[in-house]
Amino acid sequence: MIVWVIIGAVLLAVVVAVMVTAAGRNRRPPDDIASFRRQIDALSPEARRQTSDRMKPAEPAPSGDDGVDDS
Amino acid sequence: MARDLAIDLGTANTLVYMKGRGIVLNEPSVIALNRQTGEVLATGREAWQMIGRTPGYIVAVRPLRGGAITDFEITERMIRLLLQRVGVSRFTRPKVVICVPSAITEVERRAVTDAARRAGAADANLIEQPMAAAIGADLPIDEPVGNMVIDIGGGTSETAVISLGGIVALEAVRVGSFDIDAAIQNYVRREHGIAIGERTAEEIKVAIGSADPTPDENQAEVRGRDLMTGLPKTVLLTPEEVRYATEDVVSSIVASVIRCLSKAPPELSQDFLVRGMYLVGGGGLLRGLAERIERETEVPVKMSNVPLEAVVLGAGHVIEHYEALKGMFMGARR
Repeated sequence: MIVWVIIGAVLLAVVVAVMVTAAGRNRRPPDDIASFRRQIDALSPEARRQTSDRMKPAEPAPSGDDGVDDS
Repeated sequence: MARDLAIDLGTANTLVYMKGRGIVLNEPSVIALNRQTGEVLATGREAWQMIGRTPGYIVAVRPLRGGAITDFEITERMIRLLLQRVGVSRFTRPKVVICVPSAITEVERRAVTDAARRAGAADANLIEQPMAAAIGADLPIDEPVGNMVIDIGGGTSETAVISLGGIVALEAVRVGSFDIDAAIQNYVRREHGIAIGERTAEEIKVAIGSADPTPDENQAEVRGRDLMTGLPKTVLLTPEEVRYATEDVVSSIVASVIRCLSKAPPELSQDFLVRGMYLVGGGGLLRGLAERIERETEVPVKMSNVPLEAVVLGAGHVIEHYEALKGMFMGARR
């Protein structure tokens, strides 16, 4: 009797594991799509406008005048 | 709470973008050290002014060459000082995105991320310079169209075709505006017999350098040290001479652009004829370069509105949208 219960439990565990794996596989493509969509949305001109608006260039890198006279 | 940072760790200049604030630092990638004690004496602009003008015990160096770290320890110290200057301390460890040339090796990648982590970053990720440049130059890379960006930096020149947020074709050469300076230095030494420094060569390039003949060309008076007598000497240099001196470097950059064009899928190629290619990076400011590329490729070339800041602005945008754009990091799943 106990042996049948153990076998039943093991079978049940295997079935549950297979179902969980299958569910995970089925879920992955929509996640990929959503992630790609988020990436594309974040690259849109509207999303980038905020960063461009923060365009406050610091002082330009130096360029002295020693040694050369542009004549 | 640390504000996350984007760093354009260039061979010539280092720019830092702080999340929510914009560009907070733009300095030459130079560090001045005491040779005997190893103590850092200056970084950035102050160290740049010392190049070629230091007494024997001081050395002012650029720790990056060709976009790669040539001295790991010095680079780490430079990054640490830069981070300190923008408010990073041992208690505020930000996430950092660093722009690097796309052609760097695995070892070089590790060197950059390790240097940033050891300098105080909680996490360091890398993004390819042309991708960051395309984002920063406001190209419509979210659309299924061909966007071409040419990024000419101090030590590398990279051309990339980008569509739908990914790199479709890429061509990189370890040649940049420092090679133009070196070519001018060699020419003046060989043809005029005078030695000039790195900074003077750069100034000649800015004053009269060009990749194609341009209107209103002037001569430049160049002062250096006569190699025969050892005395100071002045010579006149013409734009034709400078073009001749730098021809090899310029043609190598143009050839890499042509190779990238030839790698692009035909569907995207036709877009370039309408949309053109975008030039970014300090090297792109060389007079006549856009015209020269346009003449040799028969594709219109446009200069970005923010040629010097495009890369860091692009990386800054990635920091602003970190979760959505983390798939764009080098080595991340595309």
